[in-house]
Amino acid sequence: MPGSSTVIGAPIPRLEGADKVSGRALYTADVSPPGTLAAKILRSPYAHARIVSIDASAAWQVPGVKAVLTGKDIVGHRWGRFLRDMPVLCWDVVRFVGDRVAAVAAETADAAEQALQLIEVEYEELPAVFDPLEAMQPDAPLLHPDFSEYQDISPEVLIPDTRNGLSRLTWQKGDVDAGFAEADLVLEHTFYIPSRHQGYLEPHAGIVAIDEAGRIQVWTASKSPFGSRNQLAKSLGIQPEQILVHPIYVGGDFGGKGDALDLPIAYFLAKQAGRPVRIIMSYLEELLASNPSHESIITIRTGIKRDGRMVARYLRAIHNTGAYGCMKPLPNVAIGGAVHAGGPYRIDNTFFEAIQVYTNTVPAGFFRAPGGPQVNFAAESHTDLIAQALGMDVAEFRLRNLVEEGDENAVGEKLNGVHARETLEAALQAAHWRDPKPGVNYGRGIAMYERHVGAGPSSAELTVEDDGSVTIISPTIDQGGGIHTVLQQIVSEEMQIPLDQVRVVVGDTDSMPPDQGVGGMRITNANGHAALQAIEELQGKLRERAGEILGAEPEQLSYDEGVFYRSNDGGRTDDGNRALSLAELAAQTADAELRTGRAKVEMPMQRDIACFAAQIAEVEVDPETGHIRVHRFVSAHDVSTVINPIAHQGQIDGGVIQGLGMALTEDLAVEEGRVTSLHLGDYKLPSAADIPELETVLVHSEGGPGPYEAKAIAEMTNCAPPAAVANAIADAVGVRLMELPMTAERVYRALQDK
Amino acid sequence: MSEITLRINGKQHREDVASNRMLVDFLRYDLGLTGTKESCSVGVCGACTVLVDGRMVSSCLTLAISLDGAEVTTVEGLASETGLSKVQESFVKYGGYQCGICTPGQVVSAYALLQENPHPSEDEVKDWMMGNLCRCTGYYKIIESVMKAGGAE
Amino acid sequence: MIPFDYHAPRTQGEALELLARYGEDAKLLAGGTGLINMMKQNLVQPAALVQLAHIPGLNAIEAANGDIRIGALTTHRQIETSPVIAREVPLLAETYRHVATVRIRNAATIGGGIAHADPMQDPPAALLVLDASVQTASPSGGRTIPLGEFFLDYYETALEPDEMITEIHVPKLPAGAATTFFKFLPRSQDDYATVSVAALLVADEGGTVRDVRIGLGAAGSTPIRASEVEQALLGQRCTPEAFHEAAALVKDAVDPISDVRGSAEYKRDMAEVFTRRALERCWSQAQARKS
Repeated sequence: MPGSSTVIGAPIPRLEGADKVSGRALYTADVSPPGTLAAKILRSPYAHARIVSIDASAAWQVPGVKAVLTGKDIVGHRWGRFLRDMPVLCWDVVRFVGDRVAAVAAETADAAEQALQLIEVEYEELPAVFDPLEAMQPDAPLLHPDFSEYQDISPEVLIPDTRNGLSRLTWQKGDVDAGFAEADLVLEHTFYIPSRHQGYLEPHAGIVAIDEAGRIQVWTASKSPFGSRNQLAKSLGIQPEQILVHPIYVGGDFGGKGDALDLPIAYFLAKQAGRPVRIIMSYLEELLASNPSHESIITIRTGIKRDGRMVARYLRAIHNTGAYGCMKPLPNVAIGGAVHAGGPYRIDNTFFEAIQVYTNTVPAGFFRAPGGPQVNFAAESHTDLIAQALGMDVAEFRLRNLVEEGDENAVGEKLNGVHARETLEAALQAAHWRDPKPGVNYGRGIAMYERHVGAGPSSAELTVEDDGSVTIISPTIDQGGGIHTVLQQIVSEEMQIPLDQVRVVVGDTDSMPPDQGVGGMRITNANGHAALQAIEELQGKLRERAGEILGAEPEQLSYDEGVFYRSNDGGRTDDGNRALSLAELAAQTADAELRTGRAKVEMPMQRDIACFAAQIAEVEVDPETGHIRVHRFVSAHDVSTVINPIAHQGQIDGGVIQGLGMALTEDLAVEEGRVTSLHLGDYKLPSAADIPELETVLVHSEGGPGPYEAKAIAEMTNCAPPAAVANAIADAVGVRLMELPMTAERVYRALQDK
Repeated sequence: MSEITLRINGKQHREDVASNRMLVDFLRYDLGLTGTKESCSVGVCGACTVLVDGRMVSSCLTLAISLDGAEVTTVEGLASETGLSKVQESFVKYGGYQCGICTPGQVVSAYALLQENPHPSEDEVKDWMMGNLCRCTGYYKIIESVMKAGGAE
Repeated sequence: MIPFDYHAPRTQGEALELLARYGEDAKLLAGGTGLINMMKQNLVQPAALVQLAHIPGLNAIEAANGDIRIGALTTHRQIETSPVIAREVPLLAETYRHVATVRIRNAATIGGGIAHADPMQDPPAALLVLDASVQTASPSGGRTIPLGEFFLDYYETALEPDEMITEIHVPKLPAGAATTFFKFLPRSQDDYATVSVAALLVADEGGTVRDVRIGLGAAGSTPIRASEVEQALLGQRCTPEAFHEAAALVKDAVDPISDVRGSAEYKRDMAEVFTRRALERCWSQAQARKS
């Protein structure tokens, strides 16, 4: 543990800062290979229809049009992050308003738009279904009758017995029926959470250029270049190695950008035109047809003993997957947030299930702890309702049920390094929980979240350059989280060289082993450990080489601040003949391999190491209008080493405000299959004038799986705010909202109905 | 196509533009000034903010052809040869950005604020900057960056 | 956006000639924040745009004996920050400050906003309450249109195709007038109003209402003057009960639509709440001034 480090734990500004504030940082839409054409996509105006005919010939009349493509030209090409169930362009059936039907590439985007308007498509409307519960009824229109033909299906996750069912996940512990039988009180509630957009401000963008050798060059707004490469290859039916994805900055992800989405269309257009093709979604298209979060209907039932112990819990989440399952990246083609249905509480008998159902709506994808915010809203609202039914203080009730060191959580994972109680106590204190509220119609609400740190594969390559500086090549692009600066800090710390002597380079998909990209709170852990292992290998090689140069056994050398010393007592000496700097070593080591270290890791998922969040909202409700103002918000987290406090706090700040947006305003409402909020004036992201006073409390912990025992923070921040606000509203004015977002109108109606 | 004459970041330009060319496209695709970003395309998000005659505008709602004779400043024009401007330095130091896509617009807006009001209060910063959306930071560090650039302790 | 002919006349006369030539196929371009958005969505596809920015003399704020004349090209930001407006008609400064964001207010103009005739906007409610009128120019000489007769429907005004707004006239406030503006923003500070209410109240020494005006935005197909409320209050004593009863009548004056900012029913209820609050705030201002 580098307790005295000036690098690890220091507020180091991002290494890419100057590029980002000056406009020099390049994003996909900023790249223009010579001759690049702009492409636009014609989309279905119907939620469910058969394509009777397409006549795209008139599109060629518009000056500047260089390629025209319809689904009929590429029949059978489907795409998906894992499950390939979405046509690259629809050729027979469209399944949501916004489904892709045809595309045009032209000299300008305006020309491409005009050409699209000349394409004639005849549709025969089919019955459509938008509500996931209705879609599960036996007489509902069937979206994918030919489901079994799709590629890459893993049969065990599918649910052929559920109409329009895509996939099902379950978790259980103990005997849930026996648990309920034992309970003195059983409470059940149902919650509704609408679909929301991730709200990254860089719309999806992709460029495909086919070079003279036939190599497919790609730039894409994807946090997972390897994922995008492999998805594109599969949809085209080619080998991934034929594609090179160039690293580039990504303007926000939050789970919504690890896909190849429109890259296959760009490829076919580029091939036809013989020129590079760029597809940038408009924000309207983002809201209409990218991959928002799943709309969810969640029923939760808990059995409680009179003394306040929870003994059984059942949760069923119906997640609306939309028209396709293509946007889910995992083999289970599902969202797993329901695993946290038990929260940080000890419940011995549980059964949780998450069911993904097809409807004629925009395909749903991942959004910062997929399913987590939905399930937490249900579970932590439900927690307050239980406490109130028992006549207990909601904080006391939580304290009574929290997991302790060595306890199992509600899905049977034994937890170590548990700081649930300390985290909640810290939040209560910071929120002045036990003090009187500042005024009438004020309320406070708590919600908690528990989660493990992500893991998985990563790699790193380190080289000592000729000048003695060190370059680390990482396969991971920066989507905003700041991983490159974390890597710079780790290299600086371990190599004992100044930060400015460390360069971070992102490798492309040719030069690095496959990487999963950023996501699921994994990257500091996985990429950080890859760096540590590569450093270890490098240091071994350097020591070997230094020994050769200095004429000593490697173990006779000491190393301090970038210099090897030959010294029998291991101490530092000023004798120049017996010291060797990294630059001197490099100068005498022509073979760069002797000063390069590499590592490829597969970090195990340590589900037993939990992170805890306790968040408390303080709100004021205008009882005449229902208007909610969140005045103050406390976010408490148990953390171990915080490698970069600026980046760490940035995750908390952004996650809390995303969570509050979910709580209060964000709603990708669909009416008759059409998204009603098609621009950012209607779909309201919080602005700088909308944020509450935020107080962060970091509770000391240790033993995280990351470098320097670091835990994780990204998805610890955004799951609990909706329930915290709902609980605060209930505390303020005595109404319980079970539907998001908690608009002023919903509070007003609830007050009227009271 | 019509010819327009304008100054961009202090440099005189004489350019042919189509009537329907938006300023954001003109800057990005005709002049290669890709620091200005486009996101919402309806004037809400502020990613495309530039200064026209010293006042911030949405370049996604401004026709290039309407700027004959105008003085345009983009994010590329804020830094000098000697380095980043004070407000840019502040964004770097205090972490007023994450993914960076909204950052050019944030920086240009903050620069315009400090030109008009060198020592803004926190409420003044929030009121001015609320036209620049950011999904990463929750705004706290953006506000801190602007306040610090404005001399706040 | 489809291409169009583009003109940037240097005089009002040239602009009017262009309007006469193109008729309904031309659109005047002021700040562009409304028009360009509509053109980008192909909701309007003019054959020609006539940019007004280079015509001198259209962006001044002038005051004479409390009478205010605001040039059509005066930006929202100019109005918001004008010392003259702050002194003579603080209601306008208060209202324009609430429109969108500084960046939009830098571009959007008073004339352009009115001609755009989006009933979601904030300023018309205040201008209606101020009994403002619109001065136009046209080949036949122009006219003065009371703002109350100006708005016809969503995005429709009394302007003829060959007619342009040159200035907005705001008459001197009645002596002792208290004014206020409420913009109900339950979602975000940067949003259209769920409902907005502008109010003006004049009460005599004894607390009897001598003049009262209520204007509403986002409450129907046009900005609305709630004459029902006004008539009910005229001659009444200023009491919480009187405001309460009169405000309830606003529900008959408004005809809002359901959208992402609330259902029609909710907006109707909120129109009542904010009408009452506007009256109460005006009354407390009037009393504070007296003491």
